[in-house]
Amino acid sequence: MNRLQTFSLAAALLAAAPAAAQHGTTPPPPGPLRPFQVPAPQELTLPNGLRVVVVRQAALPIVNGRIIVKSGALYEPADKNGLAQLTASLLREGAQGITASEIAARMERLGAQFQTGAGYASAFANVTALKPVFAEALALAARTVTSPTFPESEFTRVRTQSIANYAQLQSTVEGLSYEAFTRALYQPQAPYSRLPGGTRTTLERITLQDVQDWHRRMYSPSNALLLLVGDLTMDEARQMATQALGAWSGPAVSLPAIANPAQAVTGTRVILLDRPGSVQSGVYVGQTAIGYGDPAYFAFTGLSQVLGGGFKARANMNLRERHAWTYGSFSSFSPLQGTGTFNVNASVRTNATDSAVAELVREYRRIAAEPVPADELSSSLANVVGSFPNSIQTVQGLSQRFETALLYGLPLNFWSSYRERLAAVTPADVSRVGQGTLTPNAITVVVAGDLSKVEAPIRALNLGTVEVWDANGNKVR
Amino acid sequence: MRPVPALALAALLPAALAAQSPQISYTEETLPNGLKVIYHVDHSAPVAAVDLWYNVGSKNEAPGRTGFAHLFEHMMFKGSRNVPDGQHFALLEGAGARAGNDINGTTNWDRTNYFEQLPSNQLELALWLEADRMGTLAEVLTPEKLDNQRDVVKNERRQSYDNQPYGTWLEKMLGYVYPEAHPYHHSVIGSMEDLSAASPDDVRSFFRTYYAPNNAVLVVAGDIDVNQAKALVRKHFGDIPRQAPPPALRETRLPPVIGREQREVVQDANAPVPAVFVGYRVPSQRDPRAEAVEVLGSMLSGRSSTLYESLVRRQGVATGVGTFNTGLLEGADMLIVRATGKPGASADSLEAAVLREVGNVMAGLTQESLDRAKAQLRFAFINGLQTTGGFGGRADLLAEGWTYFRDPNYVNTRVAAIDRVTLADVQALARERMVQSNRVILVYVPNRAPAGAQPRTPGDR
Repeated sequence: MNRLQTFSLAAALLAAAPAAAQHGTTPPPPGPLRPFQVPAPQELTLPNGLRVVVVRQAALPIVNGRIIVKSGALYEPADKNGLAQLTASLLREGAQGITASEIAARMERLGAQFQTGAGYASAFANVTALKPVFAEALALAARTVTSPTFPESEFTRVRTQSIANYAQLQSTVEGLSYEAFTRALYQPQAPYSRLPGGTRTTLERITLQDVQDWHRRMYSPSNALLLLVGDLTMDEARQMATQALGAWSGPAVSLPAIANPAQAVTGTRVILLDRPGSVQSGVYVGQTAIGYGDPAYFAFTGLSQVLGGGFKARANMNLRERHAWTYGSFSSFSPLQGTGTFNVNASVRTNATDSAVAELVREYRRIAAEPVPADELSSSLANVVGSFPNSIQTVQGLSQRFETALLYGLPLNFWSSYRERLAAVTPADVSRVGQGTLTPNAITVVVAGDLSKVEAPIRALNLGTVEVWDANGNKVR
Repeated sequence: MRPVPALALAALLPAALAAQSPQISYTEETLPNGLKVIYHVDHSAPVAAVDLWYNVGSKNEAPGRTGFAHLFEHMMFKGSRNVPDGQHFALLEGAGARAGNDINGTTNWDRTNYFEQLPSNQLELALWLEADRMGTLAEVLTPEKLDNQRDVVKNERRQSYDNQPYGTWLEKMLGYVYPEAHPYHHSVIGSMEDLSAASPDDVRSFFRTYYAPNNAVLVVAGDIDVNQAKALVRKHFGDIPRQAPPPALRETRLPPVIGREQREVVQDANAPVPAVFVGYRVPSQRDPRAEAVEVLGSMLSGRSSTLYESLVRRQGVATGVGTFNTGLLEGADMLIVRATGKPGASADSLEAAVLREVGNVMAGLTQESLDRAKAQLRFAFINGLQTTGGFGGRADLLAEGWTYFRDPNYVNTRVAAIDRVTLADVQALARERMVQSNRVILVYVPNRAPAGAQPRTPGDR
C-alpha cells in the first residue's frame, strides 16, 4: 500500500500491466523492435571527374568530409614501404601559399579536426567541423591534398616522427607480434606482408623526391573520391565540393592489379620473438582469409564472432574468465581487397603463455571443425547486429562505413541490408566457411615475449616448426 | 512528457559561435530510497542508454587496499542473485550491445560507472541487470570469483602499466603531486600487493557502504518513453533499500603549490625513445578556475601551440608534445606536459629543451591562441554529443554533472563556461602555478634489460 501512495505515477501506468510491478527473477523479454534505416547516399560528379558521395545526417550541425585518394600502401614499391603514408602525413605540412604552422593554426581557429594519413588501399584527408565553418575547413583541407609544397625541413621531421612511431610499435608485445604475424602470412614481396607505416629501414630509404613523384603520379581527381557526411543538403554539397575541389586537375591514373600471394603453409608454423623482461606475451593465432565482396563475408563474420567477437565469445571466456591468464582475448577478421586476415589474439601473463597458446590453438581448431550450435551463433551475432545503429550515430562512424563500401567495391547500399543479412547466417553457413577456408592444421602462431621463460614450454607443445625471429622479421634460428 | 527536440540549436554564425551549444533536455526525480534518476529523450536513433554512476572511486579506498574500487568494479560483472556468473555480458551481447564501447564499467579517482547502450526495445533488460547487481551482488559472492578477477586485474595492470612504455608515469606523478596522506596519492589500478590482500569481507563491506541507491545516479537516455521508463525504474530499483551515507572523505585540501621542484630519472626497459613528463598542481575541478585550467591545457597543446612549434617544428628535439589535465575534484588537479623524443636522442637534451619552453610559457598565452583553444574545446564538446551512451555520450555527461556537482544541467553550461575564460584568467593561472617550485619532472630513459632478466613486477608469479 505504501508503494501505491508513494509511486502514484507508476501505479497509474502499471495498471495496464499489473503483473509487472516488481523486479523479477528472470530477464525481461525485449519489447517490439523499432524500425531503423541507414541514411541513403546520393551522388554527383564534378566536371573534373571527381566522384562525390553525400550522406545526410542532421541530428547535430556537424559535417565530416573525407577526401580519399586511391594511393595507399598497396601500390608503393616494397623497398619504400611507408611512402604512401609518409606522403599523406606531409600534406598538412605546407600547401600553396601557406606554411605547416599556418595550416594548423587556421584549422584550430575554425575548431576543425583535421587528419591526413594512409592505409593499404587509400590515402585520406579527413576534416570534421561545425556546419557554419565547414566549407572553409574543407577548402583548406582540399588545398593540402591538391597543392602540397612538401618543404624539405618538414619532410625530414615527419620522416623522423614516422620512424619514432615505428619504434613505439615495436616496443610493445602487441605491436611486435602483430607485425610478425602480418609478415608471416604473405610472401615477402606481397603488399599485405607489410604494415602501411613502413619500417625504420624502408622509411630511411624514402627521399623527398620520392614523395613529390608519388604525389604527382597518384593524386588526381580521377583517382579520388569525396565523401561528405552530416548536416548538409545536396545543393550545399555540390557548392562546397566545387569550391574546394572543382579546379583540381591531374593525370589519368591507372592502378596496377595487385597480387598478394599468401605464404605456402603446410604445417603449423610457430614464430617466436624475444622481448627480455616482458611480464606478458603477445600471442596471435591465425591465417589468411577472404576479402570484402566475397559471398562468404557474412558467414565468416559469424564464425569470427563465435570464436572471439565479444566478451562472452569462446576465446575470452576461456582465457580470461575461466583461467585468468589475460585481461581480454578477441578474434579479428580483417577483409581486404581480394584477401584478408583472420586471427585470435591476446596478451597473456608470461608464466601462462604456453597454456594460453595451447588453448587458443585448440579453440581455433574447434571452430574450424565442429558445428556451431544455432543459439550460440545467433547470440554471438546479436551484438554486431544490434549495435549497428549506435555505430553510425556519429558522422565519423557513418563516413567510415561508406568509405569501406567505396574502397572495396561494395554496393553503396551495402549497409542498408547489413543487419538482416548478418542475422540470417546459419550454422551450416559457418561450417561451410570453417571447413572451406580455414586450415586448422596449417596455421601461423606468433608469440612475442621473454623467450628465456616461454620458449622451452612453447616448444614442448609440439605444435609444428618453431622459428625465432628478430624484430625485423629475420630468422635468427 | 511532451516530446521536445532533444538537441535544439540556435543558428550558428562563424562570428558568433561563442556561448552557443546544443541543449540536452532532461527530466529528473529522486526515488524514496535516494536513487537519483535522470531521463533524456532523443528519438533520432533506436538506441537506449543506461548509465549508472556510483559516487565512489579510488579516493575512497582504505589504507593498504589500493586498487580496491577498481577490483570491485570487476566483481560487479561476476553475477548476482538472478544473474549467473558470465550472464551479464551474455545477456547484453545477446540483446545487441557490444562489450567495450556499449557495455563497460570504469573506475577513476572520483567515481565508478557502469553503462549499457543497446537497441531501445531492450531497455528493460539493462535496468533489470543493473538493479539485480545493485540489490543482490553480495549474496552470491565467492572467494573463487574474487580470486579469478583479482588475477584478471593483475593482468590488466601488466598489460596497461607494467609492460608498456612509460607505463609508470601516472603512478609516479600522483605520488609527487599529492602527499602520502592524500586520497589521490596512489593510482586507480593499485599495487599487486594490495590486490593480493583483498578479501571477500572487504568486498562485502565495500558493497554495503558505497553501492547503495542513495550513493548513485541512474541516467536513462535515448529512444525512450519517459513515463514508461519511470515505471520500469520503480519496478526494478524501487525496493532496493537505502544505506547509511558513506563516511566522509579524509582531509583533501592542499597548498596551491607543491613547494619544491621534484625530479626522477626512470630507467625504462619498455621505452623505445626518451620521454619527459612535467606535472603541475593546479586548481581542482571544484574550483572556480577549473575552466581556466582546461583552456590553459588546450592552449599549450595543439599543433599550432608554441610548445609544438618550438619543440617539434623549430628545434626538432621532440617528435610529439601534448598537454592535458586529469580532471580531479578534491583539493587539486594536475596539468601535465608530455614530450616524446627522437630515436637515439639524449634524454638530457630533451629535458633541457622542454624545461626551457615551459619556463617561457607566457609567450604562448596570446588572445589568438585563446580563441583557437576555445574553438577546439567547443567543437570537441559538441562532437561528443553525437552519441546517446557509451564513453562520453550524452547519458555519461548527465551522470557526470550529478555525481560531481549535483547538477544534471552541468552539461548545458559547459560551452558558455569555457567561453567566459579570459586571457587574464589563463595568464594569472600560469603565472601562479607553472613555476619551478610547483613542478614534477619525470625523465624516461630507454634501457632494455638484457635477455633473461627477472620480471620487475612483484606480483608476477
